[in-house]
Amino acid sequence: MTTHRLIQNFRRSQGLLWAGPDFNADVLERTLLKLGVSLRRVESVSASDLDPDRDIVFLDADQPINPAPLLLPGANLTAAPVIGIVGVEAPSRLKLLAEAGATAILRKPIQAATVYSALFLGVNNHRRLKSAETRLAIGDRKRRGRRFLIKAVVALVQTRGLSDDDAYAELRRESMRRRLDLEEFCESLFQVDSNFPVAWPAGLAILTSHDRGGSAHAQDTDAGGRDGGDDDDIHGSSGRPDQARSA
Amino acid sequence: MARLRVPIGILISSDGPYSVVSKSMLCGALLGIAEAQAEHRDLEIEPIIANPRGDNALYSTMAAEMLANGIRHVVGCYTSSSRKEIIPLFEKADALLWYPSHYEGFESSSNVVYTGAVANQHLLPLVEYLLSYAGPKAFCIGSNYIWAWENNRILREAIGPHGGTVVAERYFPVGCTEFGQAIDAILAARPSFVFNTLIGESSYQFLRDLRAACRMCGIDQAREIPVASCTLSEPELAAIGPDAVDGHITSSVYFSSLDTPENDRFVKAYQAQFPDGPVVSADAEATYLAVRLLARAVTEAGTDEACSVKRAVALRPITAPQGEVRVDAETMHASLTPRIACSTLDGGFTVLREATRPVPADPYLIRNSSRFGAVAIRPVLRVAS
Repeated sequence: MTTHRLIQNFRRSQGLLWAGPDFNADVLERTLLKLGVSLRRVESVSASDLDPDRDIVFLDADQPINPAPLLLPGANLTAAPVIGIVGVEAPSRLKLLAEAGATAILRKPIQAATVYSALFLGVNNHRRLKSAETRLAIGDRKRRGRRFLIKAVVALVQTRGLSDDDAYAELRRESMRRRLDLEEFCESLFQVDSNFPVAWPAGLAILTSHDRGGSAHAQDTDAGGRDGGDDDDIHGSSGRPDQARSA
Repeated sequence: MARLRVPIGILISSDGPYSVVSKSMLCGALLGIAEAQAEHRDLEIEPIIANPRGDNALYSTMAAEMLANGIRHVVGCYTSSSRKEIIPLFEKADALLWYPSHYEGFESSSNVVYTGAVANQHLLPLVEYLLSYAGPKAFCIGSNYIWAWENNRILREAIGPHGGTVVAERYFPVGCTEFGQAIDAILAARPSFVFNTLIGESSYQFLRDLRAACRMCGIDQAREIPVASCTLSEPELAAIGPDAVDGHITSSVYFSSLDTPENDRFVKAYQAQFPDGPVVSADAEATYLAVRLLARAVTEAGTDEACSVKRAVALRPITAPQGEVRVDAETMHASLTPRIACSTLDGGFTVLREATRPVPADPYLIRNSSRFGAVAIRPVLRVAS
């Protein structure tokens, strides 16, 4: 597990205050200045312009603001930490902050003593969620690729007479040799130009994007494999390769 | 011109677990009032003294009473927990608390003027000194509250990048005087130094017990396992007693042994006014400084209204016993001169190292720490009781 480092010094960060013109930012601005954070008023925010390592959005939930621009297309997490500013603690206002992905709040009127805590929690909670989201995405990708791993193991068991443990070990060894994720490697085995499992293991003829730009050793191995390959045999032994990819 | 009459609250625990230091703070405040009264003829200071006896609830009650009676300026508090307890009252009443003690930082209330040192003025210089002259292995022992927790965190993060480690952190209730197990653990761990954040009686008893235990084992404690802190001051050396008084490393911005004309004058005036003690300390000087700054600012502002006084206090520096001191208008913390000293058998300190000029306070350590907190530089053992 990756150790999560907490940010505790916010010097050179930039606060973006997304609030109405009547919001009194004096206390917030003065306090942020002491913490080395500048504050700039904005009328709107675009996720693509946000720098997660620099920007912190202060969102006034009492304004009729659409928080959608805080999210990059397809993302569930805001592009930068969002700290909600709450005046009216009504569900409709709090819902806005939940939708905006606020990871900390400041109550109105803002008290100087609460700003550092809100920054600390807001920024570090956002980093924790981002880290969790990244790990989730990797997990999802591996889960999807698991089908190809199972197909590859079955193919080796059926065509090479290996036990499933030995088949798995061989696939893993080969994926490590190619510096590829196991699932990604197995998916590549079922590409149209692959001759797996006929050429397995010595004459494996898979050209991955990694191999094309990879070492001379890997390219030599691939070239040998291509010479002896037979796509029809592969597909014949394992059914329709595209079936798994499209699953 | 009519004299400006200003009531000033003095909220200092001259009884309770940290009364030794607090009594010297009270003396510093009273000396400051006497001198300010003599210097500012247009000012009439009316001190209202309250003794919360180290009880945080009493701090709150007494501060509320002072503010309700129209007092706009209170000098006092020693522990951070007592200060935190009463700050909301000052913010609500828009009054000013003049806080005259070193503390751990990470605070900057616009209703507090901080005349004591923060971590970049006491702890970080101490860390640098200890790594150079003691070694990389720290054993932390402290009173179980924010002062100890935060200082230990800063110490841990400061020594980590230089190869230092904290082998253990032990926390004890304020007032606790039973340290047998902790001392056994120290002798077993044989750290390069002990970082002591115990306060009051706890600290004195620990220093006595550690010295005695080391003697039993034939260990020259001051040389082989020195104890370092940011709190130990002259009146506390007297409380420790002659058997264990010497060889302790302290980081502070003031020692009574400083050889400057202003300090010479201050110490003589203090001793003349309080011949029976307690002796002068950094906290006494910080309290004296707070009162002098307050009196000058009120006089120059022509009012005791908090906003005007705050503006006035940051306008120009003051020559204090420790040297030039300037209050920063942004953070309301003072620029102070860091010093490292070693306690001596005669109950004083010998200054070993000092900064060449006052160092601005960095209460949030934004200029003195990395962006990220430390990872995996945790003590092998952390025990709180």
